[in-house]
Amino acid sequence: MSSRTESKANGLSPHGAKSYVDLIWRVAKARPRFVVGYVIVIAVIGAGLFAPFIAPYSPISADPSRVLQPPSLSFPLGTDAVGMDIFSRTLYAPRVDLTIAIAATLISATIGSLLGALVGYYGGGQGIRSWLGAAVMRVADVVQAFPVFVLAIALVASLGQSLGTVIAAIAFVNIPIYLRLMRSQVLSIRGARFVEAAQVGGLSDWSIIIRHVIPNAMSSVLAQLSVNIGWAVLLTAGLSFVGAGVRAPTPEWGSMIAMGFQDLVTGYWWPSLCPGLALSITVFGFALVGASVEVLADPVKRRALVSELAPRASRGPVVKSELSA
Amino acid sequence: MSIFAYIGRRLLLILPQIVGIVLVSFMLVKTIPGDPAVLMLGPTANPESLAALRKEMGLNESIPMQFWIYLKNLSKGDLGTSWQTTRPVLEDLLTRFPATLELVSFGLLTAILIGLPLGLVSAFRPRSWLARVADFYSLATGSLPDFWLALVLIYVFYTLLGVAPAPLGRLDMAILPPTQITGFYTLDSLFAGDWEAFKASVSHLVLPVLALGLINAGPIFKMTQSTVERMLQSDFSRYEMLCGMPHGLVLRHALRNSLPSILTIISVLYGFLIGGAVLIEIVFSWGGAGQYAVQGVLNSDLYPVLGFVLFSAIFSLFVYLIVDLIYFAIDPRLSH
Repeated sequence: MSSRTESKANGLSPHGAKSYVDLIWRVAKARPRFVVGYVIVIAVIGAGLFAPFIAPYSPISADPSRVLQPPSLSFPLGTDAVGMDIFSRTLYAPRVDLTIAIAATLISATIGSLLGALVGYYGGGQGIRSWLGAAVMRVADVVQAFPVFVLAIALVASLGQSLGTVIAAIAFVNIPIYLRLMRSQVLSIRGARFVEAAQVGGLSDWSIIIRHVIPNAMSSVLAQLSVNIGWAVLLTAGLSFVGAGVRAPTPEWGSMIAMGFQDLVTGYWWPSLCPGLALSITVFGFALVGASVEVLADPVKRRALVSELAPRASRGPVVKSELSA
Repeated sequence: MSIFAYIGRRLLLILPQIVGIVLVSFMLVKTIPGDPAVLMLGPTANPESLAALRKEMGLNESIPMQFWIYLKNLSKGDLGTSWQTTRPVLEDLLTRFPATLELVSFGLLTAILIGLPLGLVSAFRPRSWLARVADFYSLATGSLPDFWLALVLIYVFYTLLGVAPAPLGRLDMAILPPTQITGFYTLDSLFAGDWEAFKASVSHLVLPVLALGLINAGPIFKMTQSTVERMLQSDFSRYEMLCGMPHGLVLRHALRNSLPSILTIISVLYGFLIGGAVLIEIVFSWGGAGQYAVQGVLNSDLYPVLGFVLFSAIFSLFVYLIVDLIYFAIDPRLSH
């Protein structure tokens, strides 16, 4: 993480902390959607962390005397069919949803990009390692030929339903994405001069991959991470919706939507619509953060953004914010 | 002649791919805990009949042997029997797969009708308000769970306005399905001249198709916008602009040159949606193939799952083959 911030600082400006803050401020003004993304992500993580202090009720205690109450002052988002407070449950939900999404994404990114780097580095040549690489790619083809959702449900069903297996299933279906991404990056880096220099210098393949190839191929993987966390949240909710993910009454957006489904048809909109809205806003936030990382982690796009900012800054405050990222 | 050789080569490649997919799914569903014999006969069954059924289903054989038996039956067109519907899986799928296909095809068509024009406009006028709205739209639809959007549509158009039919299947209870020709209720009812069934099937299709179309227009928009924009910045488009050709014509030429990438994203979406529309199917009790497979997984009913994976794999592979052939038609450079 720290090396990323350093490189960002180097790419943007060589001066001290003050101009760095100033630059962040200018980027924020030029790209307000990035700010919206970070605000949403921080707010959702905050809601999950501080839920016990914010939530007015327990997220799993049902009160049969207050069933399907419409939103009111005492129940900001109403209550569901068994009398649980929807606001409290919506606040607690990121604990489960984000844990699954972030853990699954990190696991698939680590395994996928390591495999992808190896396959890309050794691919196309002769010998057993190149054959292994080709075999890995064919396996990835088969995994991707599966309907994602059915594969995920089958994995959860076969491993037994629990938090860990949901994470494992979502991680597994996402590995091919990182595998392909990293492999294509590494294929183009493999022939670069600095890799040749390292080989001539006598470095082992392993340390070339770890110290020279992967750091130079990371930017597209980093951009994918945040977007993928959003997808993982959607997939988690979908799994819970069909009953193959997190089980009720654990507060989780997908299972909340599923619980409120029947009530929605008869006119009680709040048990289903509110958690769905929270879920959508969360995924939206992660998508925006992903878009910002794509610009900031890519040296070419970053330079374009900085050079776009520079002349404006000298002309004084930016009046009209630019929306197109 | 070379085109037939190409198709032949592709079809030869499809076979090992399908065997690979069936092998992996077989191994996967075999690891799902739960004894089908117990589930079929219920908890009160006596041990003798359980043992007899296990023997009959080949459950005592080793896994490779079971796979071999499955492959042998497969070559005879026998995909096994579902214990939930107690019917052959092939029969079940032949009625359910068209249901999914009808839903997905119309959904994708709607997505193209929304995404393509929006993409063209935003590529041609990137600073216009419409381009900004479209950009936000594609970000937003990427964040919406499709099953939730479907629920919102049901709430608005069924519960509040009362203009849409109840989300309970493909036809009203009182209407008999038309005789199956294509399996698409809309087409079959037209062939049969059954106006009532046609109206009912269309009205039941509107909401799920809208939900799928609105969500999947996002990627089509994004691809159209980025490739057409790149084409408009290329030399041939700028030359046409300099010569003073009408904007419509310049745009049409740019679109013609971007068609391969747009077609790619559409084919990928098509293959993905066969399994990806499961949640929509469940919300609308559609009775499609995806719903059938999910029910199978959740109830240790293995053969429907295998049958579905097989059907959708074959379908995707054929879509990719057809798209590759269309590439040749729209880009003559490829065939040389």
